[in-house]
Amino acid sequence: MIINMNTILECNQITKRYSSLTALTSVNLSLGRGKVIGLLGPNGSGKTTLIKIINGLLVPNEGTLLVNGQKPGPETKKIVSYLPDKSYLPDWMKVKDAINMYQDFYENFNKNKAYEMLKRLDLDPNRKLKSLSKGTKEKVQLILVMSRDADLYCLDEPIGGVDPAARDYILNTIITNYNENSTVLISTHLIADIENVLDEVIFIKEGHITLHNSVDEIRSQEGKSIDTLFREVFKC
Amino acid sequence: MLGKLLKHELRATSRYLLPIFAILALFTVLARIVLGLEILDGDFSLIPGMIMVGYVISMIAIVVVTVVVLIMRFYKNLTSDEGYLMFTLPVKPSQLINSKLIIALFWSILSLVAVVLAILVVVLTESDMETIILGFRLIRDQISSEFKGYSTLFVVELIILTILSGINKILHIYASIALGQLLNGRRLLGSFGAYIGITVAIQIIATVALLISGNAIDTVGDFTTILTVLFPIVIISLLILNGIFYFITDYLFSKKLNLE
Repeated sequence: MIINMNTILECNQITKRYSSLTALTSVNLSLGRGKVIGLLGPNGSGKTTLIKIINGLLVPNEGTLLVNGQKPGPETKKIVSYLPDKSYLPDWMKVKDAINMYQDFYENFNKNKAYEMLKRLDLDPNRKLKSLSKGTKEKVQLILVMSRDADLYCLDEPIGGVDPAARDYILNTIITNYNENSTVLISTHLIADIENVLDEVIFIKEGHITLHNSVDEIRSQEGKSIDTLFREVFKC
Repeated sequence: MLGKLLKHELRATSRYLLPIFAILALFTVLARIVLGLEILDGDFSLIPGMIMVGYVISMIAIVVVTVVVLIMRFYKNLTSDEGYLMFTLPVKPSQLINSKLIIALFWSILSLVAVVLAILVVVLTESDMETIILGFRLIRDQISSEFKGYSTLFVVELIILTILSGINKILHIYASIALGQLLNGRRLLGSFGAYIGITVAIQIIATVALLISGNAIDTVGDFTTILTVLFPIVIISLLILNGIFYFITDYLFSKKLNLE
């Protein structure tokens, strides 16, 4: 396997089995730098499993996964910024407590950037997370994650549970806050909403990667939008 | 990074524990005043009586609450959704365990010290103080005469034993929670089951070990044997057991983490 300097993520024959099912089967994947990539597939297709392996929350049964040439561990966690599909912040914290915690643990966290984004949202940093609505809490989490100057952002269903206006805010926050050397991996099943911001797409179906290509090429080869193609490929 | 983890751990636990320490301090002062005024048997004995009850309850509460808070903190912070944050910090799982273990030991010791202080402050008069000091001297003299040249060894071994068994209690719970989180949807039940299972296993092993070495026990009547044979054996057993608990917890969190 050749480690390319321009590769941020390299999966080699990754298989992950849970007790009753196989979530990922022999996944090979190579992601370049400076791209916004959609990880697209229906619920239960293996998106979250793959993202958890990238972040060291799961260990694959077989195969290797390298982030910036290293196995998931403290070193890769320094350069990967992860937005889980959960409310993962302790709810007794104030917004500013969470910011301080990120500041303490992540060298690439930019506190001023986080406060600026909060200000634009008109959100008081002294509010307790417990008192925020689900949508606002998700925005706070996104602000924390995007205020890191990371090499790889893993965003698991960032627009899953919010209204269309919040969706625009979230997508806008994502595309205006990553630099040209970093890669953004967004998992979702809501394709129409994010199609315009994607450079590449990955289709994942029942634990297999069925397609990985640039959006432009897919459009010119297939002559249809990603959303239309997705509906065809994943037709029930 | 361990320093930062310790700081956050202390902050998260202080939130619950400092208030209860403050309540105990308040009741201790009030109880001291009530006893000093000798109004417990008067016509207005209801309020002083309630203060004394509150004093006793807050002493019990500080121990119970400390244990519950420390267990819930470990469980919630590492195996619930908060685990997504903790296990993606740029630290090793062992550092997470270490930080929690150190802070848990700190609060456990502090809560016991608080109870002892609360009792001393209320019951102590100047003459009591002299009696207590006298008592300590008596115990010390007893130790030196019984253990002859071994009295320092006795004290050192006792301190090591106390700390090791404190760590043992904590790691036993950590390992049980790490095992329990493997059970999807029944994590709490799984943790209780693991705790009981481990307890039973240790009892069986200890009983077998005692049966095998049954004859040796008869000779233990001699104090020097206790210090040079029995205590070291217990210390080594605790070290091994603590090592196993720690390994189980670290292995499961590193390789078999099962967040929902």
